[in-house]
Amino acid sequence: MRSGPWTLLKVTVAAIYLFILGPIAITAAVSFNATNRSFFPPRGFSLRWWGEAFSPQWIQPLMFSLELAALTAIIATVVGVPLAFAFQRYEFPGKAIIRTVTLGPLILPTLVTGIALLQFLTVIGLGRWLGYWALLIGHVIICLPFSVRTIAISLQAMPGSVEQAATNLGAGPLAVLRYVTFPLIMPGVFAGMAFAFIHSFTDINMSLFIARPGQRPVTVAIMSFLDFGFAPTLAALSILSLLIPLVLVALLGRFVGIGNFLYQEQGRG
Amino acid sequence: MLTSTAPPGRLVPYLLVALPATFLLVFFVIPTAFLLSASFIESDGVIMTGVWTTANYTDLLSRPLYQQAILRTFMIGLGVGVTVVVLSYPLAYFLVRTPSRWRGLLIALSLSPLLASVIVRTYGWWVILNREGAVNSALLTLGLIDQPLVLLPSSMAIIIGLSHALLPYGVLTIMASLNGLNPNLERAAMSLGAGRARTFLTVTLPLTWPGIIGGFLLAFAVAISAYATPAILGGPGTQVMATLIRSFMVQALDWALGSAMGAILLVSSILLLVLTSALGNRRTA
Repeated sequence: MRSGPWTLLKVTVAAIYLFILGPIAITAAVSFNATNRSFFPPRGFSLRWWGEAFSPQWIQPLMFSLELAALTAIIATVVGVPLAFAFQRYEFPGKAIIRTVTLGPLILPTLVTGIALLQFLTVIGLGRWLGYWALLIGHVIICLPFSVRTIAISLQAMPGSVEQAATNLGAGPLAVLRYVTFPLIMPGVFAGMAFAFIHSFTDINMSLFIARPGQRPVTVAIMSFLDFGFAPTLAALSILSLLIPLVLVALLGRFVGIGNFLYQEQGRG
Repeated sequence: MLTSTAPPGRLVPYLLVALPATFLLVFFVIPTAFLLSASFIESDGVIMTGVWTTANYTDLLSRPLYQQAILRTFMIGLGVGVTVVVLSYPLAYFLVRTPSRWRGLLIALSLSPLLASVIVRTYGWWVILNREGAVNSALLTLGLIDQPLVLLPSSMAIIIGLSHALLPYGVLTIMASLNGLNPNLERAAMSLGAGRARTFLTVTLPLTWPGIIGGFLLAFAVAISAYATPAILGGPGTQVMATLIRSFMVQALDWALGSAMGAILLVSSILLLVLTSALGNRRTA
């Protein structure tokens, strides 16, 4: 039954995959150019640009991004667990509003959230926070929805009867949390942490406005270097910054089983 | 305690949300509200004078340069929305229906661009489309052209770059609606004599229409507020709202115009969102 039209669909899909993966493959190829221009196909072969990508000029923003994303992910998780609990397990006046505000940054343009923060901090006289502290605040705001939603999904997926059973067997509320609830939602918590990490690590729209020289994530550093031309170093750096989240997701998928959540973190709506 | 009539559990949710809610109120809700009101206040550079005015908006909406940028932003959003849906539909259809054992890998691959920063995804398009890029060198080698084509900077390049970046959103939205489709409806149509094409056009497509609209609006909404792709693949002649906001806020230090443009972007996104959820409700009603 799968004949003509299906073959046509397969060809179309192959072309779409080429569209999806082509530019990323080309960026990778360009980084091995022997010339200092981003030619494709690459002229000659050299690892010079990869060497340059590991020079202090680029390692500094890369490490800054990693540190910022790690810290953001941890805070978003620590704050996200109680929020997800409250949203999933309790009915209380004001819940709808707090929920909308928490998930809001997912929907509103990050760029606008960024300029709002820039303007607000400057006007109330906390302009000196711009750079590290403002970045941390901004990133927690835009990454929190990812951890809250993922943790809420794992709480929802957990049958309430399990906790009930533990209570019936004499476990106190804290023992239930410690020995039943937390172990069961752990994959969700880690998945949420990974999403928050990736979202922070790949962000540009928030950092663009509140980063300061010396305290710039790698995306902003690449962006401002682009004004001087498209050196192959930037291609190497782009690929490097793609590999980091890729390895993270692969490791988490392997050890914590977050694969199921990748699927559920659908769309944004 | 004698005074407490409420069961102790009543306070628990408030204890859980108090700190995060305060944090969000101070650093997200108040700044956003402040931005909206700042867009109605006259200002001198970054100093607000406190005089209420609508001049920021009339300025933005009357100068041809800004008008064009706003119009271009929405045209790009429209182009991206359509391209994303047209490319996502066959891909999503294939991924939902394929019996291949590589299905999981194929899905992961189609979503993989989400792991890359927009910069990574846009860089490749610059390499392909620039004056000495892959497209021009291929066409020159083949002798199809004798002068390099100017593919950059252009709105078309921005549309291509953004469609590439936002494709996973379309794929996810349309896959969700195809997954929700009852396959018996298609079987019923075919057993009643409808051909494959007719079944697709009269059953599958209409039933997944909400997914198509959802994917379109989502891509549209994200595209109009994108900064990096228009900044890399566009130029001074292809300003969009996001690149203008950047130059108002950081270079020109005209925060009044910056907040007004930000407010227009914010309200547009909210309207698109309301539209999406209204359509979603009609679907479930």
